[in-house]
Amino acid sequence: MLDQIPASELKHVGKQTRRIDAVEKITGDATYVSDMILPGMLYARVKTSPHARAKILSIDTSAASAMPGVRAVVTGKDLNFKLGLYVVDKDILAREEVRHFGEAVAAVAADTLEIAQKAIDAIKVEYQELEPVLYPKEAIKDDAPLVHPDLGSYSYMEAAFTPRPGTNIANHTRLRKGDIEKGFAESEWVIEREYTNPSVQHVPMETHVAIVQWGRGDKVDIWSSAQSPFTLRNLFCVAFKLPHRNVRVQVPYIGGGFGGKAGIGIEPLVAVLSKLAGGRAVKLTATREEEFSLLPCRSQLTYNIKTGVSKDGKILAQQMTMYWDSGAYADYAVNVTRASGYSAGGPYEIPNATVDAYTIYTNKPFGTAYRGFGHVEFFWGLERHMDLVAIAIGMDPVNFRLKNTLKPGSLTLTGEKITSHTGDIDACLKTAAERIGYGGITKEEEALAAKTGRKIGKSVVGLHKAPAMPPFTATAVIIKMNEDGTVTANISLTDYGQGTYTAVAQMIAERLRFPMERVKVAFECDTDRDPYDWQTVASKGLLMSGNAAILAADDLLKNAYGDAAQILRANVVDMDHDAEGIFVRHRPEEKVTFRQLAIGYVYPNGNGIGGPLVGVGRYIAQGLTHLNKETGQGHPALDWTYGAHGMIVAVDDETGEYDVLKVVSVFDAGRVINPDAFRGQAIGGMLQGLGTATVEGYIYDNRGHLLNPSFTDNKIPTSRDLPFEVEAIGIECPQLDGPYGARGIGEHSMISVAAALGNAIQHATGAQVTHMPLRYEDVWRAINRKEPVDNWITRSPFGSCKSNPEIGKYQCD
Amino acid sequence: MLHDFSYHRPSSMKEALDFLAQNGPKTAVFSGGTDLFVVIRAGVAKPAHVLDLKGIPELGKISWDKTEGLSVGACVTINTLTEYPAVREHFPVLRSAGEELATFQLRNRATMVGNVVTASPCGDMGSPLMVLGGEVVLASSSGERRMPLSEFITGVKRTLIRPDEVVSRIVVPPTWAGAVGGYHKLKRIKGHDLGVVAVAMVRKENTIRCAISSAAPTPVLLPDLAATSSVEDVQKKAQSMISPIDDVRCTKEYRSFMVDIFIKRLMKELEAAA
Repeated sequence: MLDQIPASELKHVGKQTRRIDAVEKITGDATYVSDMILPGMLYARVKTSPHARAKILSIDTSAASAMPGVRAVVTGKDLNFKLGLYVVDKDILAREEVRHFGEAVAAVAADTLEIAQKAIDAIKVEYQELEPVLYPKEAIKDDAPLVHPDLGSYSYMEAAFTPRPGTNIANHTRLRKGDIEKGFAESEWVIEREYTNPSVQHVPMETHVAIVQWGRGDKVDIWSSAQSPFTLRNLFCVAFKLPHRNVRVQVPYIGGGFGGKAGIGIEPLVAVLSKLAGGRAVKLTATREEEFSLLPCRSQLTYNIKTGVSKDGKILAQQMTMYWDSGAYADYAVNVTRASGYSAGGPYEIPNATVDAYTIYTNKPFGTAYRGFGHVEFFWGLERHMDLVAIAIGMDPVNFRLKNTLKPGSLTLTGEKITSHTGDIDACLKTAAERIGYGGITKEEEALAAKTGRKIGKSVVGLHKAPAMPPFTATAVIIKMNEDGTVTANISLTDYGQGTYTAVAQMIAERLRFPMERVKVAFECDTDRDPYDWQTVASKGLLMSGNAAILAADDLLKNAYGDAAQILRANVVDMDHDAEGIFVRHRPEEKVTFRQLAIGYVYPNGNGIGGPLVGVGRYIAQGLTHLNKETGQGHPALDWTYGAHGMIVAVDDETGEYDVLKVVSVFDAGRVINPDAFRGQAIGGMLQGLGTATVEGYIYDNRGHLLNPSFTDNKIPTSRDLPFEVEAIGIECPQLDGPYGARGIGEHSMISVAAALGNAIQHATGAQVTHMPLRYEDVWRAINRKEPVDNWITRSPFGSCKSNPEIGKYQCD
Repeated sequence: MLHDFSYHRPSSMKEALDFLAQNGPKTAVFSGGTDLFVVIRAGVAKPAHVLDLKGIPELGKISWDKTEGLSVGACVTINTLTEYPAVREHFPVLRSAGEELATFQLRNRATMVGNVVTASPCGDMGSPLMVLGGEVVLASSSGERRMPLSEFITGVKRTLIRPDEVVSRIVVPPTWAGAVGGYHKLKRIKGHDLGVVAVAMVRKENTIRCAISSAAPTPVLLPDLAATSSVEDVQKKAQSMISPIDDVRCTKEYRSFMVDIFIKRLMKELEAAA
């Protein structure tokens, strides 16, 4: 909506705008749950499993319970509630069996954190270790031990998922398009390869934290660092069978999420402790180490791609098989599988395709949503594969891509027809290529190569993603005018760093014709105060909440114009407004100000009309459908945001060391609402992607112990790891149903960055790396055709842990 | 979260040493705390007492004279060290290594003495001090003793320090003053990281000296070599003395390889600088 308004007619939309939350965040004034202390609040700690898979023989909590200051002690035996977003498979605390290293088996609430920790240390758990299920491709064999023998008894969302009882398969997403056999038969070349990535951690600055108070009459207050207050409330109420009106979720400022705080996490456990402690508020703050294994991670993926190509370089057939390692619980991984399944071919037209994407249970920390929702993982394989195919058939990789991109009239894997307003992937690829000087080497690059002896490599990769969400996803925005003519908007989409609230404020200001200073979007969310929003995920917030905000502003204006029409005794069609008020167009001196209208207009004699001005905007996704479970056909996509990255690297081909000289990120944003926020998202996501590409990743020993659950050995990039030069460019092919034509880009900036790195390194050195991350050693091994390091599970029974005293005892007990 | 301990901050050396004579085995000595509080938080160390040395003025001293050399007190931070004019002038290898240690913020707390007493194989100050012939001065209520760093560090996080002792300072004799030097360290990111493997090297007149970190239980000091030695000879000597391991950071194969690379790069660099 409003997509055709030219930029020259816009005052706020499309203009550089300071973030509305900048001052409080920079100064430290913003309050996070981590900062909060409630009167009488208790502190919780958790006992976690040192084993990947074990029977719990006994738990002795007597010493813990007897400690002065301990107010509640709980184990799985006491808790008969199952949790789960899509497959209801998780206990609040492990019962009978632990399914991953770091899983919670007992918890304590006490007067102080120190007492709570002492009580946890005093809890004795007796385990009988079992053989863990660790390798996804082995876990789907018939004789594999079962992570969830009771899978058949779990409830699940039947419209979308297909758990297979008696196996470790939590879901199988199937897609069939065209005739794959015919496609391969007609192909000149058929090229197949497998690509893998490890699990990684989101690493939000604020770790998971919640305060819960279970009050009298089962009224429950929850304060949580959570992305989706309403989904949290809903899942909580379903688990505890409470009416929704009993539960209030409040979310103040959030210190990052990246998908890791999307669903429900530690809140039910904290709630149980509060109830046991007689209704006192209880706070649980995850330690950084707990983030790595008590809380979920991003699933690891093995992606096999087999591509058939015609003589002239057109993709005719593609067989795609994904093995998603869900870890111990299905959580979001089943939906990551689904969303990746229907998107698996990338922004390319593939006439004959099959996708079989499996979500597989193993005995590892479980996977959840993570920026990109599967796309970062599978685009690593896909865009490496596009280069492999191009090189193999003797075509330039960028030309090969351009020949195969989705164009107006193309059908996606699910049979959706691409139109001229879907976006322009060709423009993204071409712009990225141009901005890195693809196909040539500049004088400066040549000089650098001569001086350092390093080899220059350049790559261009494409990407796309649609929001992964139910077809009926909805949101609402309420705008209330204050006494002085300023407005406050309430919204329960959260802003945990993306800048969406600033964009929403810009759109409200634009629509109302107000200066930004008169628009507030209330930061703290509260399910008792704010209107519903499904979840803050999927890069759908700008589009959906933006539309709802525009509709809410229009609704407020409609109410204001209605009052003004009476006051000015004029027809609404003859009226107009400016920042100050509403006037009659042909007699502008006949005017009533917003200030006069704000809480109801008062005549000189004291009569009043109208009433407080509010505007309500509701928005629901339009025209989307469930996908057919056999063929994957249907309409899953609210919008497709296309993008591309161009990258230049300089590689030492003797040692595998490299520098990223430049990254250019291009996204078809439809319309860039706030150029600063666009750049922030583009660079932030790119660097996060580069982190997973260069160094991040879980490493296990062959008993399933996580060997690097801390920043000591799970490094993330720092400001020094930024490429030497970074560019972010917006293409603006408007989305007809996007607010002012806009689409989301929040996740897209992270997608395909790893493949860009892998491809650029290959172009520089010939190194063929098919596993992320690309540490210097991995590049060195690939250059020298040495066997790759087994990145996921080291070969020795206790990993490297025993031989490495730097790793603390919490890492392998 | 930290376990309970009692905190002591003596204001004189005598007070500190008397305390250690009484409570040494149950006490952790504290200056920067950048290692100590990590291991306490992880539950690896559970000292009953923490003895903060920062109240003792003489331990904060750094000095240089031509006869004794460089003396660096226990509480001198890495940033103070790397900015100290005599270090910049006489011992560039110390500065090079110091600037590779953690981050600027951590270097405001971390001390050279602490780095050495921790005796981690990947400590950044061990190998550069060894090539310079650095000596530790150990103080206790029964007196002082002094020994070369190469003898002091005996294994992974093991040294010859007694529970009643502190390393009051490190002395770098003037022998290698003016030697050109450098420190090359393999990291996983460009930001702060532990050394996956590292090589320190100095060259003065006709001699080069080389030591290697993260490639054996202790830093490995190679015997003095003629500056005319070939790169291959130095590499061969190094490979015969190191015993790297496979771990989550790296394989021993790549560690060995990078030792050779760093030796090659340093020899070239020092030849150019000399």
